[in-house]
Amino acid sequence: MPSAPPAPDLQAPAVWRAVRVRYPFSDRSGVGPVDLELRPGERLLLLGPSGSGKSTLLQTLTGIIPHSVPAHVEGDIELGGEPVPRRKPYGWAHAVAQFFQDADQTLCGMRVEDEIAFALENRALPEATICAKVGEAMRRVGLPEEWRGRRTMTLSGGEKQLVALAATLAQEAPIFVADEPTAHLAPEAANRLHRLLLEQIPGQSILIVDHRLDGLIGSVDRVAVLGPEGMLVATGMPAQVFRHSRDTLDALGIWRPLASRLDAVLDRAGLAPAHPPLAVQDVLEHLDRLPASARKRAGDVLSSFAAEHMPPASSKGGDPIVRLVDAACAPFLGPTVLRGVNLDIAPREVLGMLGANGAGKSTLGASLAGLLKLRGGARHGPAGGVAFQRPENQFTTGSVRQEIAAALPGVHASQVDDALRSWDLEALAHHHPFELSQGQKRRLALATLAAGGRWPLLVLDEPLAGLDAAGSEMVTGHIEAMRDAGFAIVVITHDMDFALRLCPRSIVVGEGGILADGPTRELLADKGLLYRAGLCEPAIAPLLRWLERAAAC
Amino acid sequence: MLSRLHPLGKLAACMTWIAASILIFDLRFQLATVIMVALVLVVAERISLLKILALMVPFALFGLGFLTTSLLFGRESDFALRMAGESPLGSLQFSAGLTLFLRAIACGMVSALFALTTDPGAFVRALMVSWRLPPRFGYSLFSAMQLVPDLAEQAQQIRLARAMKAGRPPRRIPGPFELASLVVPLLAFAIRRAGRAAIAMEARGLAPATARTVIDAPRFGWRDCFFVVSSAALLALLIVALRAAG
Repeated sequence: MPSAPPAPDLQAPAVWRAVRVRYPFSDRSGVGPVDLELRPGERLLLLGPSGSGKSTLLQTLTGIIPHSVPAHVEGDIELGGEPVPRRKPYGWAHAVAQFFQDADQTLCGMRVEDEIAFALENRALPEATICAKVGEAMRRVGLPEEWRGRRTMTLSGGEKQLVALAATLAQEAPIFVADEPTAHLAPEAANRLHRLLLEQIPGQSILIVDHRLDGLIGSVDRVAVLGPEGMLVATGMPAQVFRHSRDTLDALGIWRPLASRLDAVLDRAGLAPAHPPLAVQDVLEHLDRLPASARKRAGDVLSSFAAEHMPPASSKGGDPIVRLVDAACAPFLGPTVLRGVNLDIAPREVLGMLGANGAGKSTLGASLAGLLKLRGGARHGPAGGVAFQRPENQFTTGSVRQEIAAALPGVHASQVDDALRSWDLEALAHHHPFELSQGQKRRLALATLAAGGRWPLLVLDEPLAGLDAAGSEMVTGHIEAMRDAGFAIVVITHDMDFALRLCPRSIVVGEGGILADGPTRELLADKGLLYRAGLCEPAIAPLLRWLERAAAC
Repeated sequence: MLSRLHPLGKLAACMTWIAASILIFDLRFQLATVIMVALVLVVAERISLLKILALMVPFALFGLGFLTTSLLFGRESDFALRMAGESPLGSLQFSAGLTLFLRAIACGMVSALFALTTDPGAFVRALMVSWRLPPRFGYSLFSAMQLVPDLAEQAQQIRLARAMKAGRPPRRIPGPFELASLVVPLLAFAIRRAGRAAIAMEARGLAPATARTVIDAPRFGWRDCFFVVSSAALLALLIVALRAAG
């Protein structure tokens, strides 16, 4: 639950006044002008579309921008009433703990104990105090005591993220800043991280940027929304912002929690609750209190809503195009991680591939595409294309146009223009691929794979990671179009609602093999399986159960 | 056993043995050094012989260069030939080449002894505490170590993507053209990562010139004194014995 509103006379721990940031060689401001304050004990969520300057604003807080990252900063930024430029960024470590998106960015490759102690050593605390605080941080995050001596390089992605969190919590700074901490985590690990991040610590203020709102939003006190130009377009209590500014948020392509989208649906039917809901459970409790006739009407509109978020009937056409038989899969030059894999996929089929961090999904995807040689078993079918997690890895030319042209060898320039137009990349044709936003890079990567129809099977590895709602919607639309065009598509994802919406069939990868293969809805309703695989049910699951119950009555 | 010793005491002992291997041009000395270190690693430290042999491959290639140079261009390594003149082996060229080859292996074995029995973290902490290595450099070393596997992973991703476009699985060992084409993207990745790591360390309060605590720093004890003294005594004994044997 959100904390009680702070007393108005207390000094704000962090303040931005008319702050404007402009990067070198840029003709417009990356952020601002922005006026914002973080209040004592407040948990503030910063939202905005991709490229709106959220990370930039966070990095101005301790002067990393402009001290370590060159930029021109106007306006006043204060921490605890003291102007930020008065100290170097390291001079603010006692006041601000910063948790970055990528754990490898935080960790230095030392032992777990050393990583957690690092900030405390920098403050020259006595060794005994540091050891006690390290133990406390490890207990809080749930790291086993025997991990103290483990090298962080030997940990999985999720484990590293927890060590990074313990290292940041150990700073015991009055301000805690987190920049998309769950972007690359499996659902169970992401939920755990959210719980730990938002534990109430007296006097601590938290500023968080994240796209994953379900499970997080209920613990947030206030939301601030940055527009595409880097200016604040809305601030307020989460419930109010998501109800009263929802058209603005939708227009800007900003994620909204599922409860807010249900609220909008009910509002259009004149059945919205008096208090804007933040959790699906709030919506369901409201529905249960409605008179029978109104509840029936609500059930009808919510059934339509749910249908839009369920997978379409399977449209797969004909015999499997690619098959793995008793396959043993290993990453390039690495040991075997999956054994006894039997899997097939047909044209016009979208297959979801789900599993915890480090389960071997990317390895299985590349093996299915024929890109990795099997260590055992057999693969039947033509080669497939892979859209990698980091799209920049597959760009080899100097411009967007050249990338598309390279994917369409020997065709006329007008056909390259057509491909650029169909993927909405015309305006970017002469940009270097590395200059594009993350969403644009993903679009270009998909365009190069789909252009020319060279690969009948496409494996898309985390196609939505780090994208805002608009970017995700665009990528989803392209995947559906590719499916309708006859491609067989495998989607590797940590987003259970996305898998449920797009994939009639899914597999769950874990414990060195395929744990389950079946209809996505059935797999995601199997709590035992989800627990075993480190997954969570989709946010829409409680609504689906309510609708089933309502239909049965 | 050796892993419990102070890294700097061990470093001093190893440096002394490496210096002796370089300065003493005696096939028997190099051979004795290689055998002793191998025994310590295999018997006392339980390190697999295969691993040691694999680690010695680059040193062996380096040493083979000396051996072939000595055999093919004997006249140009006059000093080595004169030094090897006292060797029991018949051919002067071969004897000199073999000594040079074993010198490379001996240096490699002593280096491996240090690397395989020293925790890098403890080593850097000892450098910061005992030899006043600035923490900025110490933690840069850590980050560089962290970067190596990440660079390898990044290189593999790029190679997979390119192999996919080329329509064939990637080769185990990249060719020279492929290697050259990886340099720029990997350099860009390394610079980006190094910049981010520097920012993260600064955000956690790593300052250029302020006092800081170093936890769990290795402390020099009687065990380390014993090791350093006995290592020096063994070296002296070996030299004297070889001199006495002529």
